[in-house]
Amino acid sequence: MIVLGIETSTPQTSVALGTEQETLGKVSLAGAARQEFVTPVLEQLLTWTGLELGQVGGIAVGVGPGLFTGLRVGIETAKSLAQVLSIPIVGITSLDALAFSVRHTHKLIVAVIDGRRGETFYAVYRALPGGVVRGSDYEVATPDHLCAELEILPGELLAVGNGAILYRDQLAELGSRLEFASSIRAHPEAAALVELAVPRFLREDYDRLYDVTPMYLRRSDAEIAWDRRERGAGA
Amino acid sequence: MRIELRTETPEQTREVGGVLATFLGPRDTVILTGDLGAGKTTLVQGIGRGLGVEEHVASPTFTLVREYAGRLDVAHVDVYRLERIQDVMDLGLDELGGPDRVLLVEWGDAIEELLPGDRLVVELTTDGVSETRRIAIVPQGRSWAARWERLEQALAATGDALEGFAG
Repeated sequence: MIVLGIETSTPQTSVALGTEQETLGKVSLAGAARQEFVTPVLEQLLTWTGLELGQVGGIAVGVGPGLFTGLRVGIETAKSLAQVLSIPIVGITSLDALAFSVRHTHKLIVAVIDGRRGETFYAVYRALPGGVVRGSDYEVATPDHLCAELEILPGELLAVGNGAILYRDQLAELGSRLEFASSIRAHPEAAALVELAVPRFLREDYDRLYDVTPMYLRRSDAEIAWDRRERGAGA
Repeated sequence: MRIELRTETPEQTREVGGVLATFLGPRDTVILTGDLGAGKTTLVQGIGRGLGVEEHVASPTFTLVREYAGRLDVAHVDVYRLERIQDVMDLGLDELGGPDRVLLVEWGDAIEELLPGDRLVVELTTDGVSETRRIAIVPQGRSWAARWERLEQALAATGDALEGFAG
C-alpha cells in the first residue's frame, strides 16, 4: 500500500511517498514556511517516482501542534485529496513524529516544537520496541516552565525538535542528563508520518475526514472583548 | 508619552502615516483604534505610501489580511469581523510575511494580549460629521522610547505644516 505523507507543522514543509517496506520518495524544504509548495512538490515526487496519484491508498497528515498557517494548508490539502481520491486519512501529531524519529534510545524523549511568542509545544515519550509511547499530555509552556517540568523527571533525557534547539541555552540548565538530538531531527518528517501511519491503515484504524483538524493547545475558545465595537455600532 | 494631532482631510491623515512610516523597522507592530470611518485604513494608506508600497492599500475588513511589498513588507490586518480569540489565532499573525515585515492591526486594541508588547498605538477619533480627525499616538514597550523624541519632532513639523498640531 502506498501512503502519502504531508507535514507542515513547522517552517519545514515535508512531503513523502512510502509503503510498509520503504520510503519511495521524500522532499523536505527547510528554512522558511513554504506551504504553497506542498502541491508542486507532490507533483514532482509523483513524476520522479513514476507513480500516479491514483495509486496512493492512504494519506498521513501532520496535525500539529505547530504553525497555524502551515497546518491549515497541509491539512486542507490532505483532506481534499482524501475526499477526491476516496481514500482513508490518518492524522499524526508533530510531536509524535519527532519522538518517533529518535526512538532508538533508552532515555526519556522530550519532543519540543517552537510555538512562537515565547512558548513551546511539548510532550514526553518513552521508547518501546518498534515505536514510542507518550507519557504526558500535549502541553504548551514557556521555556522556563518546560525546564521546571523536566527538572522533576527522573533519569536521562533526550530533547528533540526546533523548540529544543531554539531554547537550547535555557534547557541546558538541566545539566548533562539532558542531551540534544541532532539538528537534522529538528522538524517532523513526512516520511516518519508515513511510517507511523502504515500500521493504522493496515488495521483500518482511520480518522474520520472531518475529525482531522489542527491541534490547538492554547486556550482559544474565549470571545474577543468587543466593548468598543458594540459601542461603535450604537453610535 | 503621547502625541496628539488634528488633521482636516484624508490626505493630511495619510501624511501623518507617511511620517510614521519613516520610523518603522522590521517586526514593528502598529495598532489602529477608532470607530468605523475614523480613518484607520486612510492612515495605513499613508504608512504604505511611506514604505514604498505601490499597490493600492484597501480596507482588509472583509479579507481580514492584506499583504504588501515595500521597503518593508506590510501585513495589514482587520479583526473587526472576528468573534473569538481562536479566529485571531487562525490568522497566524506571528507567521505573516518575512522577517522584514511590519504588522498593522485595525481594532488591535481588542486583541492586545495576542500582539507583541512593543507596539505603537494610534487612536483616531471623528466627530462623525466633518473630515476633521483627532489622532493620538501612544508608545507601548521599550523600543519606541528610543525613537520617541525624533518621532515627536517629525510629527510636530508635519503638524505645523498641517496647522493642526495640538500637542
